[in-house]
Amino acid sequence: MLPTLGHAAIVVGLATSVFAVVAFVVGGRRADATLLAAARRGIYLTFGLALAASLVMVTSLLTHDFSVLYVANNNATTTPPFFSVISLWAALEGSILFWTLLLTGYASLVIYRYRDRHRQLMPWTGATLAAIATFFFAVMTWPGNPFIRTTPVATEGPGPNALLQNNPFMGLHPPLLYLGYTGMAVPFAFGIAALVTRRTNEEWLAIVRRWTIVPWIFLSLGITAGAWWSYEVLGWGGYWAWDPVENAALLPWLTATAFIHASMVAERRGALKVWSSALVLATFVLTLVGTFLTRSGVVASVHSFTQSAIGPWFLAAIVISLGGGLSLLIWRLPDLHDRDRPAATVSRESAFLFNNVLFLGLTFAVLFGTLLPLIVELFGGGTISVGAPWFDRVNVPIFLALVFLMGVGPALPWGGTSWKTAQERFGIPILAGVAAVVLVLALGMRAPAPIATIGLAVFVAVVMGDEVVRGTRVRGRARHEGPPTALWRLATRNRRRYGGYLAHAGVLVMAIAISISATLGTDATATLTPGQTMQVAGYTLTYRDFANEALPDNASVIEHRAEIAYAGPQTGTLTTALRDYPSSTTPIATPAVRTSLGEDLYVTLIAYDPTAKSATLHVFVNPGVMWIWLGGGILGLGAAFAIWPDRRRLPAEVAEELTAPAPSAPAEA
Amino acid sequence: MALDQAQPSRSWPRGALWRRLRWIVVPIVVVPLTAVLFTGFGRDPSVIPSPLIGKPMPSFSLTALDGHTVSSAELAGKPLIVNFWASWCAPCVQEHPVLLDTARRYGERVAIVGILYNDTAEGAAGFLARYGDGGWPDLLDPSGGTAVSFGVTGPPETFFVDASGVVRGKQFGPVTADVVTAQLAALGVKATP
Amino acid sequence: MIRRTAFTVGATALAALVVAVLVIWLRPSAPMSPAQQAAQLDAQLRCPDCQGLSVAESRTSAAAAIRSEVASRLAGGQSPDEVRAYFVSRYGEWILLEPSSVAWWLLPFAVIGLGAVALIAWLWVGRRRPAPPSAPVSPPAAGVAERVREEVEALDA
Repeated sequence: MLPTLGHAAIVVGLATSVFAVVAFVVGGRRADATLLAAARRGIYLTFGLALAASLVMVTSLLTHDFSVLYVANNNATTTPPFFSVISLWAALEGSILFWTLLLTGYASLVIYRYRDRHRQLMPWTGATLAAIATFFFAVMTWPGNPFIRTTPVATEGPGPNALLQNNPFMGLHPPLLYLGYTGMAVPFAFGIAALVTRRTNEEWLAIVRRWTIVPWIFLSLGITAGAWWSYEVLGWGGYWAWDPVENAALLPWLTATAFIHASMVAERRGALKVWSSALVLATFVLTLVGTFLTRSGVVASVHSFTQSAIGPWFLAAIVISLGGGLSLLIWRLPDLHDRDRPAATVSRESAFLFNNVLFLGLTFAVLFGTLLPLIVELFGGGTISVGAPWFDRVNVPIFLALVFLMGVGPALPWGGTSWKTAQERFGIPILAGVAAVVLVLALGMRAPAPIATIGLAVFVAVVMGDEVVRGTRVRGRARHEGPPTALWRLATRNRRRYGGYLAHAGVLVMAIAISISATLGTDATATLTPGQTMQVAGYTLTYRDFANEALPDNASVIEHRAEIAYAGPQTGTLTTALRDYPSSTTPIATPAVRTSLGEDLYVTLIAYDPTAKSATLHVFVNPGVMWIWLGGGILGLGAAFAIWPDRRRLPAEVAEELTAPAPSAPAEA
Repeated sequence: MALDQAQPSRSWPRGALWRRLRWIVVPIVVVPLTAVLFTGFGRDPSVIPSPLIGKPMPSFSLTALDGHTVSSAELAGKPLIVNFWASWCAPCVQEHPVLLDTARRYGERVAIVGILYNDTAEGAAGFLARYGDGGWPDLLDPSGGTAVSFGVTGPPETFFVDASGVVRGKQFGPVTADVVTAQLAALGVKATP
Repeated sequence: MIRRTAFTVGATALAALVVAVLVIWLRPSAPMSPAQQAAQLDAQLRCPDCQGLSVAESRTSAAAAIRSEVASRLAGGQSPDEVRAYFVSRYGEWILLEPSSVAWWLLPFAVIGLGAVALIAWLWVGRRRPAPPSAPVSPPAAGVAERVREEVEALDA
């Protein structure tokens, strides 16, 4: 009964979203307020229907209703409630449903928020969002129906994918990522609307930037959470393998970051309209490409899903959105002229634009590397691999160049600079960077990547610190405020700048942490019998005992557990295990990670011998990993700070005048 | 601000040629991307063609479960099926009846040899006791070196070798009766009715 | 003044550092020990039954078998190129984690180079053309000022 209602909700959702598309288009062209109101209500209704369908699915999962094929494939009577709920996104059909829920949620939020404003743009924005919703409802109605029934009804199921239920992180990573992906539909819709109505001015840019940063924050957190999950669960001691699905999530993030920076130049100058529009369109198309790569089974990856019938549908959606968006852009090209074009080769504008060149270079590199095996195959060249070594070789230098620009860009004045200003701004930071490199070399570090990263990071940190300190001092003197108050007031009145600083600080933390953990870790493998010890980088591990037991909250899962005591910079005990899940033919490793701010002790059980009670352990000591996750959090925090709505509204230029550091004030004007 | 003033600055690109040809940009961008993404359909990304086809079979000399040594040289002169399997591998259970049937149907005209992949003698013996022993030698490959020399990525994988010792076919995953018939027919062997 | 001196010192130090790095980097390197060669090869070969991991990182039995094969072939006197060729002859090109042709990884840098050149050209063209004189602005018509204020409020989206 309930699953039928769920399916009905989806079909009605399809009809409603089609109605909304038509109503928005017709109502917009006729400026018919009643029709537009009906269209808006249509969008709210699609959200309600998607919510209803999702609740039905979650209920079916919680009640282990095996008459629903999705539940029969992804649930078992022994599955704990938490994992039943998050099985909503465990497999293909459920994740499409979850995606639709978030998409219609965003659409409703945006439509509601601007129901009385931007009367030219909103009908087309609504129509585009409704069209995207139509696509997803259509996928759920035909190739990817989550509520297909199955007879005879089984009494037991295999449970969710073993990797999914091995770690509660799976409750966090997909929702964050999907909030990022689906959110990119909003700036896309605004972009289409702006092109159709020819209102590609600064009004459009301000809205689109805000509605890009919100999903961008989720996407950043989602990617970081994915890396964290990979680290905690997969047992190979690493967190990023340039796997096709990881790359798929990174691609829209790269173009969105490029857009966020380009939009600041566009807003200032009224230039780069074509470029900004192209980036907004590209971000959403890349979201679809990413979903396609993950879901269609076209490329083998960690997230291996078998080839499904929805592949061709997504390919069609990519062709339509890319072809349509590009055609629209070309058609409206005459309207997208620049008001005031930046001209200086060295200025904040040019730094932001070089940043865009690098980000797009990264996008090309990642996309090309991911698709190269397919391209080679298309031309009959057989099968090749493009793995981590290739991506690292190409991407690390580009990332380092971006870190450098991160320091230089915000410190350069708008419009151009003189050699004198450059010397004043960058003199001490360069010295600090070089000193840091010399120090680190003197301390014995020889790996080139961390050394370069640390040098650049110190350079950037000193540039940022210099700006913050000077600004605080000027304000403190002018307003007679103590440093903390001055800094807080300064930051909250310049959210974009100081949020940017915080976000960049997060990037620095992540960059240093990644370069250190990737090059300075150590590992060792040994087979031990109870009582034997092994040494890894200052830790002594003693293998104590072995146990074979079912999990307390899930009797169908058998755990083969090694208990280990460790001593060294951290001391304690840990258990690492291999788990047999009914849904998997191979046992799933459950590594144990002991984290401290300095380093992680990471232990995986590779194999065990039940008769001899021996265990083969792979032990890693990974320095600095904690800081990667913290850095990601700082990044999100900085971006959130930047877009936090202000109670007081000072025009941007006035705010900057009040707080610009005195020596360079003339150059800023 | 909100009201966009139409500046006299020129928009780019301009010219009659651009106006006529601009739409060509769309297929130039869309078609290659679609073609590349479309390539992947209909094939399993985990199946990789073997470079050994058309080359002599790698030589080996391994110990069988019953203790005696079998070398690849001894197996020459007849069409040969080399089956890599393991007792812990579920698709191997699936394909075992097919292999048993093959041995029965082709009899002496085709030799079969099994090579164990990352498995123990006990595990293998248990499997054969449970699912049937077809009588062909099953060889242990403790170091995994033979599997590497054949380019095996994981069980089950089966190679079809002709009488002169040249590899003619490879099957990823479990063999089916149709696959065996077709591969052996390509080697010039027909089944006894 | 201090900042300018700092710049001179810092820039000189940086230049010295870069020269030192180049000298060290371009110096003919000492031949690698067999263990180092093996480690390097292991990082270049793909583990056949993993998802994208190298044979060095993976702990599966296939990876272990390949590592021991690499070690024994190197010990037997084969060069790293010959060992790589052996694995390609058995598994195919995909056993190498990176495509062997150098051109592929240069391509993204070529794209970036082109982009940088295009950007600089775009900036310079903008410089040569002076900004067009803005048309004289007439006072706004009656209801327009209202609408302007409305839309400015709306800007704070």
